[in-house]
Amino acid sequence: MSALRVQNLSKRFGGLLATNDVSFDVAEHSLTALIGPNGAGKTTLFNLITNLFAPDSGVVEFNGISLAGLSPGRIAKMGLIRTFQTARVFPGMTVLENVLCGRHRLLGHGLFENMMWLPGARAEERRLATQALALLDLVGLADQAERSATDLPMGAQKLLEVIRALMAQPRLLLLDEPAAGLNDTETAELASLLRAVRACGVTVMVVEHNMSLVMTIADHVVVVEAGGLIAAGPPSEIQVNPRVIAAYLGEEPV
Amino acid sequence: MTELIQIVVGGIMQGSIFALLAMGFSLVYRVTGVINLAQGGFCTLGALLGFSMQSRLGLPPALAALGAVLVTSAFAALVGRVTFVPGLSRLTNSNMLMMSAGLLTLFEGLVLVVWGSQPYALPPFSGERPIAVAGLLLPTQGIWVMGVTFVIIVGLWYMLARTRLGQSLRACAENPTAARLVGVDVARMQLFSFVLAGAIGAVAGVVVGPAISLQFDTGRLLTISGFVAVAIGGIASFPGAIAGGLLLGLVGQLATAYVSSLFSNALALGLLLIVLIWRPSGLIRGAAGRRQDVRDEARVWTHVTRLSARTAWIGAFVLLVAGLVLPWVLDAGLLGALIITLILFITLIGLDVLMGYGGQISLGQAGFMAIGGYAAGYFTTAHDWPPVLAILAGIGISLVCAMILAGVTLRLRGLYMALATLAFGLLIDSCAIGFDDITGGPSGLVGIGDFDLFGFAFDTPLRMYYLVLGVVVLVLVAMAGAMRSGFGRALQAIRTDPLAAAALGVNVVGCKMAAFAISAVLASLAGSLYAFQFHFLSPDMVGTPRSLELVSMLVIGGEGTLLGPLLGSALLTVLPTAFQPLALYKTLASGVLLAGCSLYLPQGMFGALTRVLRR
Ligand SMILES: Nc1ncnc2c1ncn2[C@@H]1O[C@H](COP(=O)(O)OP(=O)(O)OP(=O)(O)O)[C@@H](O)[C@H]1O
Ligand SMILES: [Mg+2]
Repeated sequence: MSALRVQNLSKRFGGLLATNDVSFDVAEHSLTALIGPNGAGKTTLFNLITNLFAPDSGVVEFNGISLAGLSPGRIAKMGLIRTFQTARVFPGMTVLENVLCGRHRLLGHGLFENMMWLPGARAEERRLATQALALLDLVGLADQAERSATDLPMGAQKLLEVIRALMAQPRLLLLDEPAAGLNDTETAELASLLRAVRACGVTVMVVEHNMSLVMTIADHVVVVEAGGLIAAGPPSEIQVNPRVIAAYLGEEPV
Repeated sequence: MTELIQIVVGGIMQGSIFALLAMGFSLVYRVTGVINLAQGGFCTLGALLGFSMQSRLGLPPALAALGAVLVTSAFAALVGRVTFVPGLSRLTNSNMLMMSAGLLTLFEGLVLVVWGSQPYALPPFSGERPIAVAGLLLPTQGIWVMGVTFVIIVGLWYMLARTRLGQSLRACAENPTAARLVGVDVARMQLFSFVLAGAIGAVAGVVVGPAISLQFDTGRLLTISGFVAVAIGGIASFPGAIAGGLLLGLVGQLATAYVSSLFSNALALGLLLIVLIWRPSGLIRGAAGRRQDVRDEARVWTHVTRLSARTAWIGAFVLLVAGLVLPWVLDAGLLGALIITLILFITLIGLDVLMGYGGQISLGQAGFMAIGGYAAGYFTTAHDWPPVLAILAGIGISLVCAMILAGVTLRLRGLYMALATLAFGLLIDSCAIGFDDITGGPSGLVGIGDFDLFGFAFDTPLRMYYLVLGVVVLVLVAMAGAMRSGFGRALQAIRTDPLAAAALGVNVVGCKMAAFAISAVLASLAGSLYAFQFHFLSPDMVGTPRSLELVSMLVIGGEGTLLGPLLGSALLTVLPTAFQPLALYKTLASGVLLAGCSLYLPQGMFGALTRVLRR
């Protein structure tokens, strides 16, 4: 069964057809890349999948369940977690607290238990902090844990957002340009992180402009242009697909 | 029939006043995106300046009016230049709202210092005798108000539609970034809109002044009426502001004539709530919304205030010891002030959870204090209930009100949430005055007994103090636990970025509801304790001014920190008691502090203190 099934999705903003009858599947445990020129409608696709706004027509199914009419919060609770194109770490909170926010959907202890300082609730908090620090360590941010999240450089903020999403233990992870603004070392870190995530059995879909990164980590590529789907297949096929080359790779050789 | 026409004409006159006020709001909102609560302050200032120029300097009325408008505008320019415009580029819209509340308080304080607290009756422009037109009696001042409103509407329309200046203003209203790119000096336009709104306010004050009784806090009432009018009509459009003003005036007059003047307020607020539910952006809608998946980057709040664990434990210990010892070294007056400080602190902790952590503005928190207070007073005096049961009843009623209010408001964005809570507070105000069998009406509920617990009466100040201290400690411990857990983090996430929070599976509505419930419970509890402390409760002790004072205390002390509000509460409660002669300056000082803190100390005094301690 495919983890995500998008069928005939369309969305119009005024006169602009931002998504035009797009259909594709994301196989379970795969790492799928979504590529396309600027303004092609990639972010819009993510927004439609997570129901930030409703599509004009079309269906999105997550593990066989239709997401129509569900709020973004409900969809996240089902294990479909996304990040945003511009880093959206929570200001006014530390790096560690930001990561802990990711686990919110799975917290076992409620408000009352925490108000009473019950041992179980405090223990859960401590356990989560340890896990969060371990995750932060993967991208070398563990020693920044007590800093204000917005004081981090942009690249680190983007990595933090990915870590925060991982803390949510997603079943399907949608990453919107996680490598934008990262330097070469950070990009390499991200690439190995994504491979590790996938090895853990998480399905990943990532919007990415960096072609060499896409070609090395992805096992399936979906290409959109001007709102419409123009190709889908393994990287080796996409690389030689004439329409894709014309639309996209042509202007940015691999 | 004549009667009806008379009422309708009266409503239009009244409505013109509201429309004038509403236009000031709309102007500033459209250009800056901020609700400027100081709007009503311009009116009082203008009216009283005109009065003094006439009576003290002996200027002819027309010259005095002109002088008043000029001086008020100059003052608006100064205030706008120093606080409002710099704030626009640094603060979030909700913090700007707080700041403008500070400006309103500042205006009130200024009027209080210069003109005192007595009411003024200003002479009408053309004598007291109403003129008769076709069998209708029209007060001359009402005609002046309508005429001036009309002139201002036409003038404003002409300026916006036909002049270059108006074009620049509209450009800023529609898209500031684009306006900047085509060479409009956006900051100048923002200042200009503020000053122009000030001038409109002053003109309104000068013509309206003689029609009402004027005192230092009239500005607040005018602000609220204008705010309600503009919310009903639609804040993003001038026709909306005018329509809202007229509608509010008509409903008010009709309700006064055919129902009861006591509830005309309640009816107007009911109208507001209906509009908010049915059509949150008002009857007449303005420009379209923006892209939601991008955040307004520059203006989010970015400070992190955390004490190290060791400092926090030492601090808590020192504070607790101080709290236990303090009553033995203070005189009776100061002990009383300290008890009040702590009672207000209980309310503030709740408000802090809602506003400081959750970012949901509430301008009606004293409404819950009123519910708690009157429930405690009424059930113990009229039905001989044990105090604890009465307190619980108050909490129950508050919770029900809070959930209804939350159900209505949670779909609304920050601004409208502020508005709905304000309307709620005002509604409770008018109920407190109107239901005099329960509340004792304007003169208050007397003879409330002592609080007692299983036969132990808290009948001395010292006992009351330790009771309140105990409650404070319990509440603090519980809230510290809550804020350090998933709930606290979720609230903070929602405060700055509800969308990103939802994308992580945070139940945004559920968390807001919980925060709302906590704040209502704590306010209600504090209100009950307040009633037991004074053995008396009157509407002005727990009215809307109190709500605004609570917000000041929170911002000055430090929102988003648990102990910060204690500083704010102590500052505004203990200091005026300790230095009685300076009490006159309390309002002015709290206004200056509120505006200053929101601009320069984003986490108030506590935030500043933390930064010093961390060094
Ligand atoms: N909420 C919205 N309202 C109006 N137009 C929108 C909205 N969201 C997206 N668009 C438009 O839809 C088109 C596709 O935008 P989208 O952000 O999805 O592109 P993208 O492929 O993510 O581009 P990029 O590579 O630059 O991130 C753009 O022209 C954009 O302006
Ligand atoms: Mg995009």
